[in-house]
Parts: sequence; C-alpha cells; structure tokens
Amino acid sequence: MPGLQGDNVVAPSSLGSPTKKSKLSLKFFQKKETKRTLDFSEPPPADEHRTAEPEAPSLPYEKAEAMLPFVGLNNLGNTCYLNSVLQVLYYCPGLRNGIKKLYSRSKSKNKLKEEMVKSEDEDESVPAHMELLGSFNSLITSVEQLQSGFLLNPDSYTEGELATPPRKLLQLNPMYEGYLQHDAQEVLQCLLAYIQEACDTIKKEQRSGEEDNPGSSNQKPFTRSMRKSSNEIVAAPVAKEEAREEGADVACRGEDGEGESAPKASEGKRKKRTRLSWLRPSSKQPSIFSKFCSMGKISSIMAPKNQAEPEQAKSGPKQEQTACKAATEPTTGDTQDQKTVDNQDGLDVLERLFQGRLVLRTRCLECESYTERREDFQDISVPVQEDQPSSPDDLSEVSPDPKPEQKTLKWAISQFASVERIVGEDKYFCETCHHYTEAERSLLFDKTPEVITIHLKCFSANGLDLDPYAGLSKVNTPLQTPLTLSLEEWCTRPAPPEDCHYRLFAVVMHSGVTISSGHYTAYVRMSEMRDVRLRAKRDEETNEEDRREGDCVKQQEDEDEEEEEAHYDDGEVSFGGARGIHRSKVAGKKTEGAVGLLGGQRSAGNGYELGGGKQADKAAAGGAAEAPRRRPGGGGGPVKKEAEDQEEAAASEQRALSSLLQYEGKWLLFDDSEVRLFEEEDFLRACSPDTCSTSTPYLLFYRRTPPHGPHSVPG
Amino acid sequence: MATHHRQNAAGRRKVQVSYVIRDEVEKYNRNGVNALQLDPALNRLFTAGRDSIIRIWSVNQHKQDPYIASMEHHTDWVNDIVLCCNGKTLISASSDTTVKIFLWDVNTLTALTASNNTVTTSSLSGNKDSIYSLAMNQMGTVIVSGSTEKVLRVWDPRTCAKLMKLKGHTDNVKSLLLNRDGTQCLSGSSDGTIRLWSLGQQRCIATYRVHDEGVWALQVNDAFTHIYSGGRDKKIYCTDLRNPDIRVLICEEKAPVLKMELDRSADPPPAIWVSTTKSSVNKWSLKGIHNFRASGEYDNDCTTPLTPLCTQPEQVIKGGASIIQCHILNDKRHILTKDTNSNVVFWDVLKACKGEDLGKVEFDEEIKKRFKMVYVPNWFSVDLKTGMLTITLDESDCFAAWVSAKDAGFSSADGSDPKLNLGGLLLQALLEFWPRTHINPMEEEENDANHGNGYFQVPPHTPVIFGEAGGRTLFRLLCRDSGGETESMLLNETVPQWVIDITVDKNMPKFNKIPFYLQPHSSSGAKTLKKDRLSASDMLQVRKVMEHVYEKIINLDNESQTTSSSANDKPGEQEKEEDMAMLAEEKIELMCQDQVLDPNMDLRTVKHFIWKSGGDLTLHYRQKST
Repeated sequence: MPGLQGDNVVAPSSLGSPTKKSKLSLKFFQKKETKRTLDFSEPPPADEHRTAEPEAPSLPYEKAEAMLPFVGLNNLGNTCYLNSVLQVLYYCPGLRNGIKKLYSRSKSKNKLKEEMVKSEDEDESVPAHMELLGSFNSLITSVEQLQSGFLLNPDSYTEGELATPPRKLLQLNPMYEGYLQHDAQEVLQCLLAYIQEACDTIKKEQRSGEEDNPGSSNQKPFTRSMRKSSNEIVAAPVAKEEAREEGADVACRGEDGEGESAPKASEGKRKKRTRLSWLRPSSKQPSIFSKFCSMGKISSIMAPKNQAEPEQAKSGPKQEQTACKAATEPTTGDTQDQKTVDNQDGLDVLERLFQGRLVLRTRCLECESYTERREDFQDISVPVQEDQPSSPDDLSEVSPDPKPEQKTLKWAISQFASVERIVGEDKYFCETCHHYTEAERSLLFDKTPEVITIHLKCFSANGLDLDPYAGLSKVNTPLQTPLTLSLEEWCTRPAPPEDCHYRLFAVVMHSGVTISSGHYTAYVRMSEMRDVRLRAKRDEETNEEDRREGDCVKQQEDEDEEEEEAHYDDGEVSFGGARGIHRSKVAGKKTEGAVGLLGGQRSAGNGYELGGGKQADKAAAGGAAEAPRRRPGGGGGPVKKEAEDQEEAAASEQRALSSLLQYEGKWLLFDDSEVRLFEEEDFLRACSPDTCSTSTPYLLFYRRTPPHGPHSVPG
Repeated sequence: MATHHRQNAAGRRKVQVSYVIRDEVEKYNRNGVNALQLDPALNRLFTAGRDSIIRIWSVNQHKQDPYIASMEHHTDWVNDIVLCCNGKTLISASSDTTVKIFLWDVNTLTALTASNNTVTTSSLSGNKDSIYSLAMNQMGTVIVSGSTEKVLRVWDPRTCAKLMKLKGHTDNVKSLLLNRDGTQCLSGSSDGTIRLWSLGQQRCIATYRVHDEGVWALQVNDAFTHIYSGGRDKKIYCTDLRNPDIRVLICEEKAPVLKMELDRSADPPPAIWVSTTKSSVNKWSLKGIHNFRASGEYDNDCTTPLTPLCTQPEQVIKGGASIIQCHILNDKRHILTKDTNSNVVFWDVLKACKGEDLGKVEFDEEIKKRFKMVYVPNWFSVDLKTGMLTITLDESDCFAAWVSAKDAGFSSADGSDPKLNLGGLLLQALLEFWPRTHINPMEEEENDANHGNGYFQVPPHTPVIFGEAGGRTLFRLLCRDSGGETESMLLNETVPQWVIDITVDKNMPKFNKIPFYLQPHSSSGAKTLKKDRLSASDMLQVRKVMEHVYEKIINLDNESQTTSSSANDKPGEQEKEEDMAMLAEEKIELMCQDQVLDPNMDLRTVKHFIWKSGGDLTLHYRQKST
C-alpha cells in the first residue's frame, strides 16, 4: 500500500527504532558461518569469495540489530541469487497468500488423485511445477512459523536459528544444483514460470474436474501456459505427461529436473534435456521484444554449471525433510470442495501481480495511421548505459544538450520503450498509402501489472570472451533508482493515473564484477505489517486459515457464510484507508483472522485501516459494498464471539504483532541468513553507486500505489 | 538528371528495371496531391502528385480543360514543390530521395529532358532522414527542410551550407513556411502544433494548437498575420497569429489535407486551394471570412464545434482514379486491377498496356472467372504506390518464365512454335530504341530484324526506370527516348549487365529444367521399372511425355516382337510424329497423384496444381482400358 505510505509511514517510525543489540552482530555472523558449513556434505567451493565479499559496507551499523523478527534464508553455497529472489517474493504483497492457496488446492487435487490411483507416494509423480509449488509453500510456511515462534518467544531463538534453507527450491532445475552463482533474474523467471504452470494445471484440472469426475482429471492433456515466460519450461510438460501415463516412474521424474531420487543412470540424459529447456530464458523476450535484447545472456555460460550437479544430486533425498512439516499441512477434503469454485479467482494470482501487457505500435509517418500488436510481459529489461557511444555527429549538435552524468530509471525505460524508426531499405508497407513508407515503432504499456519488475541489464557479453567461466562482465554504470515511478508517459490511453504510479518495495542487489561471481542481496521495504499474523502450528487453525485465505482473494458476491463476509470486509475496508471506529472489534477479529489476512486481495489495501466500515461503504465497489453494511448485524456478532474465545491468546499475540509494526516502512536487507534494518536514507545510500561501486541494483520491484483516498477507489 | 548520384559500377547495388503502364498523357492526378503552388502572374497552378507527376493547370475558370502540361521526372511520390524566383524556379522533393530544381522559361517548360535539367541539379547533403517538407523564401536566400528528426534544418541554397537547426517539435515536421526576408518561419508538425520561429534568434516564438491531429499543411498571408492550416483531421482553419483565440473553420475536406495554397491575387486572399489524399484539388472561397470576423459571430470558445465557412468548393480540378488493388493472374502476364472508382481493368503486362476496361464489376468474381489452371513462374513484381501499375523486373527471377509462342498468342513467320522468355522479350522491347541493342557485332547488316524482340512493342511513351533495389532511382527515361544521344550515353552507364546480356548480347537464358520420374501405374500390372530420374523443360506438355512413353517404353516392348516398320520411316516423318501423338493419346494416359492428366498441361502446371508436394514429380502411365 503504496499510496498510503505518505501518511502512515510516519506512525511506525515515530515509535522509535527497534531496540538494539548491536554487539551481537559479530557473533551472529560467525554463527552463520558455522551453520552454513553444517549444511553441506561438502564445503561449497565458492565459499571463499563469498565471505571475502564486503557485506553492505559502510552502513551505520549501530542501527542494525542482531535479532530482527524476520527470517533469513541460509546460503546453501552461493544460493544468494535464489535467497534474494525468494525474500522478495515472500514479501511481495499477495503472492505468499496466493501460493498457499494454490498449494492447498493442488493438495486437494492430489488427494483425490491419490484415492483413485492409489499411489503410495504422490510426490513421485508430481510434475516439476507442482512440486515447486509445494516446496515454495513449505518454505513460506516454515518462514512464517519461524517468525511467529520468534515473536512469541524471542529468547528461545539464537541468532543463527532464525533462518531456513531454501533447499527444495534449489532442485527446481538441475542447473541450480551445485555451488555456482546464477543470474537472479533467470531464477525469478523460472520460479514464476513454474508457479504459473502450476496455476494453469490446477485451473485445467479444475475445469475438467467439473466436467468429468475429478479422478480422471489428471489424465487430461496438459495445456501450455499462455504466458510468455512459460516458454522457458518446455521440458516440464513433456515429462509430466510421461509421469501421468506411467504412474510413479522415477526415471521420468528425473527428467523433470526434479530429480533428487533419480537413478544415476538417467542423469546424463536428464541433464542434457533440462539444460536445453533451461537455455530458453535467454531468449525469453520473443518477437517484438527482440530489439531490446541486445545484451542477452550467452548460452555458453550454462555449460560449467552442470559439472557440479552430481554432487548435489547425491545429497538430494536428505533435503526433502526440510519443509516436510509444512508440506503435510492438512487440508480436509470437504472444506476444499466447498471452496473450489470460490478459489477460482486465486488462480490468476501471478497474472494479476506480475503480468502486464505491452503494445507495439507501428505508425506510418505518411498517413499517421497506426497498427498495434499486443504482448504480455512479466518483467522489462532496461539498459543501464547507452548501447553505443553516441556518434560525434550527435555531440556537435547545435543546441547543447548536456549529457547527464547519471542515467535515470526514466531514461532507461525510455530506452526500452524507445521509438524505432523503420526507414531506409526495410521500409514499412502501409496498407493505407499502398507504399513502402517510413514508420515509427514504439512500445507502450497497455496494461500495467500490480508489481512491475525492472531488470537492469548490468551484464554485457564482452564479445571475444569465450571463456564460459568468465561469465558476462558487469556494467557498473550507475542508474539512479527512484523510490517512486510513474509509467504514465509510456501508457497507451490516458489510463487512470493511479494505475501507473508505483513505489519501490524491493531491490535485488548484485555486487561483483561478473554474472557468475559476486553476491546477491535483497532490500525489501516492510509494509502491511499489520497484516502479519502469527502462525501457530495447530493443525486446526492452519486449516481454517487456509479456508479463509481462499475467501480473501475472490470477489464473489454470492458468499453466504457470514464469517467469510467478515473477512471480505477487511479487504475492502483496507481500501478505504481511514482509521475506523470499530477498532476494538476489529482487533479481536484480526487476531482470529490470522494468516488469512496476509496479502491476497489485500495487496491493494493496508492492514492498518481495518475497521473503517463507513468508508468502506463508500469505497467498496459493486457487490463488495454490501458486505460491510451487513457487518454490524449478522457478521459482527459471530466474529466478536470468536474473538472473545481466543482473547487470551490474542493478547500475547497482539503484543508480538505490535512489535512488528515498528518495522512498517523500513527497509530490511536480506543477506542470506542475515537480516538487517535500514532507514530509507541508508537504503538509498546503499543503492547509490557512490558508496559502493560494484554493488548495484539488479532487479527493481515496484508495486502499484493505491488510490490516495476513498474517492479514487476504482469502481 | 541527378548525375551526381551515379556511382561507379563497383559500389552500386543490384539494379532493377521498372516501367509504368500508363497513358501517354496522364491528364488527371492519379493519386493524392502532395503539393500545390500558384503562379499568380500566369494564373497557373502546379500540383505535385503521388503519381510522381508534377502537373501545370490553368486556373482560369472560363477555360474548359484546365490541364496544361506535366513534368515527369520523379519516379516516386513528389512530396513538396516550391515555386520561387518569380516563378522561374521550381524546387521539388521526392520519395525517390532527390531534391530537384527545375529551371525553365515558359517556352521550354514542357521540353525538360535529362540533359537540360542536369545542369541545375543541386543537392542538400547531410540530411540522413527523409525530407517531409521544404520551404524557400521569395528572395531565394534560405531553404528550410523538415524531416523525421523533428528539427528544422536551415540551409543557404546558394552554397548548400547548413545554417542552423531548430528544435522544439516532438514529431515529424510536415509543413514549412518562410516570410519574405527569411527571418521568420512557420512549421506544422505531426505533433498537432504549429510553431512560429525566429531564424534570427534561432528559437521558437510561439506555439499554436488548433488541430486535433497532425498539421500537414500551412499557408500564411503576406503580412504574416493570419495562418491557414490543415491536416489529418481534414479541417482547415484560419488563425490569427497575434491572437490565437481568433480562429475560423473554413471548410472540412473529405480526406486528410496534404497541401494548401492561398490565392494571393488580392489582399485579403480571396480563396485557398486545397489538395488531399484524394486526387481532386478544390478551391475554397475565403470571401465570407472577414465579414464573419467583423461581425464577431465567431466563437472563440474552443469547446463548441465551429461551423464551417463554406460547404461547397468554388472550383474543382477533377482527379483521376488510382489503382488500389491488383491481382496477377496465373498466366503471369495479365493483371486485374480495381481503382478508387471501383472500376476493374484487365492489363497486359507484357505489352505494357491496358487490355480491357471491365467497368464496375465485382473484383473477386472477375478473378475467379479468369482463373486458368496454368502455372507460370513469377517473373515480375507490381507496385501501386503511384496509383498506376509499376512493374519491376529483378535479375533473380526476371527470366524464370518461358511460354510457347502459340500460347502467348504470337505467331512466327515460319509457323514454328518457339519458346519465348517473357522477361527477356520485355527487356528487349523496353530498350528497342537504344542503339546498342541493334548493333550486333556478329551480323551487322541485319539491323531491322534485330529491332526489339520481333514479336511486340511496348508503347513508346512507357517510362523506363533503372533503380537500385528498394532504393534510389538511377535513371528514368521514356522508351522512345533511348535513342537520344544523352540518354544513350546515360544508359551505357546505368544498364546493368544482366540486362545487357539479353538486350545487347542476345544471350537467351536457359530453360528451366524439371526433374521427374516416370513409372507404370500400379493398375497396369506391369513390373515397376528401375526408377529413372528424367529431366525436361518445365513447360514440356504432358502430350510429349505420353509420346515418349508410347514410343520409348510401350513400343519398345512391342518392337521386340514385331520389327517391321522401322525401315520406311523417313518419308512421312512429319506425319508420323502427329500419328504418334494421336496414337499415344488414344492408347495411354498419364497420371499424377492418381489424377488423369490433360495432355495440354505442361509439367510445371502438373507439379504446381496436382503434385503439390515437395520432392520430385512422379508420373504414372497406363494403357487406356478402352
């Protein structure tokens, strides 16, 4: 909640900085090292340079504290590329919830399938993307549990323990086995592609499940995701089909690239295949985007990585245990069935969050009529420096145009969306003019996503360097990173301005000089701390949460269950953006709502403002507006009762949660298992190239700023 | 003409030959009119059309036919013309990337040739982008050019020196005006604005937003106080430069306005000429405008739509129709076209002339009606950019099409049926007046016989254009002019070797061979012979293949038993050949993909329409059951 930041950020920060235990930080660091070593069957070869890496140098260390109530991710040997991306995704508003929902849905499907097929181990036949979904879900669960545990009982945790290893996710592609450094953007693409595929699969299954009996649904042929990034995962669908035909066939699964239990014999083949599929991302911007891919990755860089695979594969099976607790998160069939239809909306979580649409507009310069082509995108890759040094001719232009020392993000996006002129030999054939005419081609945003991911093309292939180990050399050219971003000037129609205003909420930093070396960290701006709920380990509750999570996302009007409506309220009320009068009631309810209030639809709202019933009436659109009105009567009663039941527990939880509020609007640096706090100025300084020349932003995540007040809520 | 563009042969890109199928005199604008200039002294209007022709009109209303003459030196759209130096000089800029300066006196006006216009050709170099607008002040001291680089470039036309660049527009600059002494400039841009510039201060003084879309045409009164503007929104406004709120909607055209020209015979101007993307040019009266203004009836509230001053033009220079659709028929010789008046015409590409006017018939129906199951390879391409048919021959496929003379409707004196190469014949016809093509080093005396191609002529007025592929025009001349001394010499420099080969050296291109297999049909029960790969001209008729089968395969089988007739073959050979064909057709049939073949079909047609797939054509023969 973006837009609310202006007014609300003040509150948490005025609470004063969190308490400090700065002395512990050194110890923390050491401990981490130990822990990391323990994580490995063999010490990571690249470890050396990792530790040598100056960790966010020159930061006012006294401000950082040892034990922040946030969970880090253990480095499994250069997995910082993955850790940083996962942290961003974890804090990406709405995604966490979406994943959980997806997962619970997939579980229900699997359950049904299990009954039909009587498969002993469902995991065995789970296709790559579904497995990833499970792994991601369990990671989220364990992070939440760790955080809750810490919040409730901070003393029981020592520093190194507040971290969890993202092991299972590493296996999403054999390329990531081993200890080599990888490109964070590719991992992001890969993760999102898998999740999207999982969405599509579930959607497909659901559809077929409605038509036929649910059991046979799994035999339905798989449809490819329509998203463009899904072309990265070519191997997966094939393997999936095999898996379905043959049941739990281990070899097939190996080919998925999942493979920890795959027989060694199949490894060679598997590697070849998955690698092929993996190479796809380097050409992930198809067709119309090709002109912007001048700095695309070279494929030869992938080669050495496979050499490290066998080692990782050996240690594979062990790693499964990591998050198994979460994986067994119970989902009772009846609840799920009931939600099946409702949850439908949750399936587009990725599209809604990350997917936008670009339009390529070609305008004939003669008759000035234009043709358009649309294409979906998930991230945009922008340059950080001029492609070619500008020609001396341009420099000697009449009106002096002083070259700005530092390129701005605005400049970079302009480059991305730059006008390309079709002239000379390859003119454009204009249907109106019956003539090859000159034309202009430009890229515009037709639909902006909730979260826009900007990939800064820091890595450039230096032409003659064929050494695959050398990787791509990095351009450390500074690019100014603004906290807010407006895409208005690159949007097609005069879109509602609130659709194109964004605020920076996360940055993946890269420090180092090549793509295959260096270190990734992530800065995330904490928001919606009020929405954070404690995650108890009681099965019952989790179950209920799951149920509610489902409700949160969908905007169906035909819900009859009052409780659901109440939750629904919260989502809408948050839009209202005003502190309500029903504060106490809401507080109780909030506690009860627990995880159900995380993210989800709330990505556009702010937990802060819960309870603004009146405003909600005004603000909430369509059918949604009805729910709040009913609340004081039917809805309010039961909610309150429940709240009382849990009052005791709630009180302590509330205390714990309120301690989180002080982090609202603060920046956290996630450096593997280490988490540190940053004030905004410090964060900006860290991003700024003056302080550290090799540490530069690599991926920028901006989320849409919501309307500034109840009146601008889109109807 | 543009000799400075000619480079040495080594640096030259592939040269193509094009020609335009048209009437000798194209009296009417065939396409949109990009530019207008009025010569008040002689009461003449110059129009520069997308049909590449600059035309001169008498605008005396009493005259029946306003057409006076054409200047046809461009090969592509003429985008702008400027008449200056008291009407003695005309500058034109064209999509063929040339800026031409025409200098004439009234008497030689229509006699501009390649030679006398070369003298004054000048070039404004340094402009990488195409020029979309040009203006020169009346004293001839300044030229301003507008292009896609969004800046105005200012030149001294006497030295071709760049004087300055003016920045401010955010889009293409499509229209320019200079005041008399060249100190002020008005520009209209695709960004929808009109800007007033001071060349002295090298900056923009004012910006006017009158139009909803791009401003493509501007005119200003002599006092430089009132601007007339038109553009993509089809509307023409008059705006007071000093008080932009005062504006009058003069009229609304039926198509986007490309150019306007004020009639300055009186002050205030009594009328304005307007050209659009349609071919007719309209004159709109401005007479009411001042009453309108004086009465204070105009509404400067921009939100209410203005009512136009005029609804009917005062005078119209009728335009012709331009071709907007074309279809090449299967014989690769005839083309069907449809024009802006929905008239359908049947053309003969080979003879470069109109075949038949079909009137307002259904285009697609006509295409269906004229479909013939023949296949002839492509050997030319068509383009419609000028609103007329421009046919282009390229080295890569020009000689691909062979036909038999009989099929093409040409009879030779000796009654034989030679194979004709369409592209070759056409090139010979286009250059038949070029002396080099009839000086045959081997048989010098046979001049007459070698004239042209011996079968047909193209209309002598046909414009022939040599140009680089997709690029610049090297040389344009009329077919009949190639005998001229200058033209002949320029041709020596321009004609590419592949054209020389056929027109001068008379090297006929090779026949296209088509490989195929011949096998007995499975139903005949004959054992499958070894698969022999045969090869023949792609225009070999199925009949000939049948003869071959009858003679070489079936008869051989028979002859092994009866070795009778071989001795008395000689006398009736001709007869026998026909016999053989007859016999063959009676006895056997050829099949492809289990379809019985018409003996008149040729192999390429069989391959294209029946075989359809890749790989070598396979034919089966069998004896007729009857």
